Amino acid sequence: MEKHKNLENKGMSRRRFLSVMAGAGVVGAAATMTGCAPVSDPSGTGWLPNQYRNASAMPAQVKGRVPLDPENVSLVRNDEKCILCGQCIEACEKVQSVFGYYELPVHDDFICVHCGQCSLWCPTGAIAERSAIEDVWNAIQDPETTVIVQTSPATRVGIGEEFGMGAGAWAEGQMVTALRQLGFDVVVDTNFSADLTIMEEGSELVERVTKGGVLPQLTSCCPGWVKFVEYYYPELIPNLSSARSPMMMHGSTLKTYNAKKLGITDPKKIVNVAIMPCLAKKFEISRHQFHGLEGGAGKYYEDDTINDMDYVLSVRELANMIRQKLGDVDFASFEEGQYDQIGSTAGLIFGNTGGVMEAAVRSAYYLITGNNPPTSLYHLEPVRGLDGIKRASVDVPGVGPVKVVVASGLANARQLCEEIKSGKADFHFLEVMACPGGCIAGGGQPRTAVPPQDWVRQARTDTMYNRDAVGTIKGTAAGEGAGQDDVKTMDLRLSHANPQITEIYNEFLEAPLSHLAHELCHTTYEDRSGSLTRKEV
Amino acid sequence: MANKVTDQKSVLVDLTKCVGCGSCTVACKLWNSQSFENPQTGVMENAHGTDVKLDSNTWTTVEHLKVQKDGQEVWRFVKRQCMHCLEPACSSVCFAHAFHQTEQGAVQYDPELCVGCRYCMIACPFDVPKYEWEKVMPSVMKCQFCSSKLADGESPACASVCPTNALMFGSREEMLALAHKTIESDNKYINHVYGEKEVGGTSWLYISDVDFGELGFPTNLPEKSIPKNVHGFTQFTLPIFAVGALAWTGASIYAKRRHAVAHEEHKNEK
Repeated sequence: MEKHKNLENKGMSRRRFLSVMAGAGVVGAAATMTGCAPVSDPSGTGWLPNQYRNASAMPAQVKGRVPLDPENVSLVRNDEKCILCGQCIEACEKVQSVFGYYELPVHDDFICVHCGQCSLWCPTGAIAERSAIEDVWNAIQDPETTVIVQTSPATRVGIGEEFGMGAGAWAEGQMVTALRQLGFDVVVDTNFSADLTIMEEGSELVERVTKGGVLPQLTSCCPGWVKFVEYYYPELIPNLSSARSPMMMHGSTLKTYNAKKLGITDPKKIVNVAIMPCLAKKFEISRHQFHGLEGGAGKYYEDDTINDMDYVLSVRELANMIRQKLGDVDFASFEEGQYDQIGSTAGLIFGNTGGVMEAAVRSAYYLITGNNPPTSLYHLEPVRGLDGIKRASVDVPGVGPVKVVVASGLANARQLCEEIKSGKADFHFLEVMACPGGCIAGGGQPRTAVPPQDWVRQARTDTMYNRDAVGTIKGTAAGEGAGQDDVKTMDLRLSHANPQITEIYNEFLEAPLSHLAHELCHTTYEDRSGSLTRKEV
Repeated sequence: MANKVTDQKSVLVDLTKCVGCGSCTVACKLWNSQSFENPQTGVMENAHGTDVKLDSNTWTTVEHLKVQKDGQEVWRFVKRQCMHCLEPACSSVCFAHAFHQTEQGAVQYDPELCVGCRYCMIACPFDVPKYEWEKVMPSVMKCQFCSSKLADGESPACASVCPTNALMFGSREEMLALAHKTIESDNKYINHVYGEKEVGGTSWLYISDVDFGELGFPTNLPEKSIPKNVHGFTQFTLPIFAVGALAWTGASIYAKRRHAVAHEEHKNEK
């Protein structure tokens, strides 16, 4: 008994402990139940751009962001980087007149023409191209395949910027060298297929003008513009030139004509890659019109596993591949390599807004009159420059004045579409590039200031035209491989004067608009207006 | 002490105007400093898309649904978040009083008070509160209706960023009036303002041109609020406890006294 008492005095009994705890519990529970306990504020304390720090009834100039399909073939968005600055929607709606030009509710599509301007306006890089780098590395590493790469006209005034060469620096030779070092087997120039496009599209224009076809003819080189027409102006599809874009003509002829010249017996072993200043090109190669039996090469070989083009890389992706493989290189001091194919500088200026028009006028003059154009047509000033809409009239003997219009930026193109629809259009030929300034400022070009600035566009444009003024082209004969000695240097400012163009028609395509030319160099379009209800403007 | 709701705010969601850009989901993450990581899988996920669910890191989602309308497949985007009931069931079941309504009607959850019993998760008719299963000391998480922004006269983060005005913010009367005006002005809408009457009414209101059932909204909800529904018997909880406690105390005193008397008698007998 004594012992027990000692223990109790030393501390707390089990009974007492339990009752204290129970009491505390009852007091605590009573406090919370009656709501007396202190309340902590769990509401957000994060950050939002200033334009959103008000009541939603208050108007804000820039709000939200563009809807973007997670499956979009051209573009991806990383939500973690998105700060809702609203710049993408600004580009999409105000510059391109895509977002906001359809009625809500939506039907069954994220309306997108894949121009990629949003990726140039995005200040944090949240919107970027869907990368094809891994696929291209795999193709290059596969010893079975011949990987042919083509480079779009505007790439050579963009790629240098990625390596500190300054806006619009001319880096054609360095790019060719880099492509060979990356392991591409054949390096060809989209300037060549731009020449081919001039032959086909120019012949089509001549036919429409002289034989009374649907006018005005609309250019079809720009896949963003083509999809825009398919969405918003399906009634103008008959006006679109049936000629494919240069890249797609190249794709089909590389797997047919050039495959034979290269001695490749199995066209399935060719992988066609294109370096483009454009993200809509990634969409373009996914069009079913260029796949299997619907496509050019697939139909030619009657093999539905062959697609005309396989991969498109943006200029930014090419720069990344160069950095991945070659590390921290002095790109500017690369030796100037040469293409395995020749393109004219008429093909080169395709990269500028107005360039397709100028190149087409030079050759259309020849196609109509049989003579080369007068020197004034080598510098068609009214269609040059960064203005959104440019108009010109060209006197062609035997036809009279041919009226041409050039637009860049789809909001400008929309005005002209409305003009055509209302019957007020008096012009014969309309060139449209979706991106303001043309491909030199395409959605796949190196990022510059945000939003993209005209001084950069002007620098790139100037380099292109200066090059055309010189008009000197170096190259080796198509398909005869790199490093050969038969480098041809010539003054080549006319698409139809390109000896390799003469060669492809003599040896393969026969003539512009021939049956084979139709299968390999032309395409069809589809009415996408069911994907949206067009808002009347 | 719980606030009295004196300035009931609402967001009206016009589902026909949503283009699925997901701005609202990003605004929510930005304002609430939440990660894009799925707490269960650790994978980075967007809060908008075809297969998105609310979780403890994701207080709002925009679900991309493909539904039939007039014999055709159409896309609709449905924003989901806490509905902020006028008479919240979560709050009524919470014995820890972790839920409070602010003056603007935000049903605010306070993790400091939560004991983690998850009654609210069972009580919620919209399956909104989510548990932090991955944590050692988990809380329940849900949309707070940006209660501090609302108190400052701002709209919730999500509604402020919507580029198509699919989310409209204002007083509940204004939003209800707008909802009915919109429905009357355009016959594409279904004549139903979801949230006007469901479970006694909610702060968030929806209008749509597709049946709400097809868009994943519970359509079998009573108009009477859940707390009111169960009030018939839950109102006796406290009295029953009080009576029980009294009876127990009485029994204890009686037993003690009897024991003492018996002890005394036993001693006397000795």
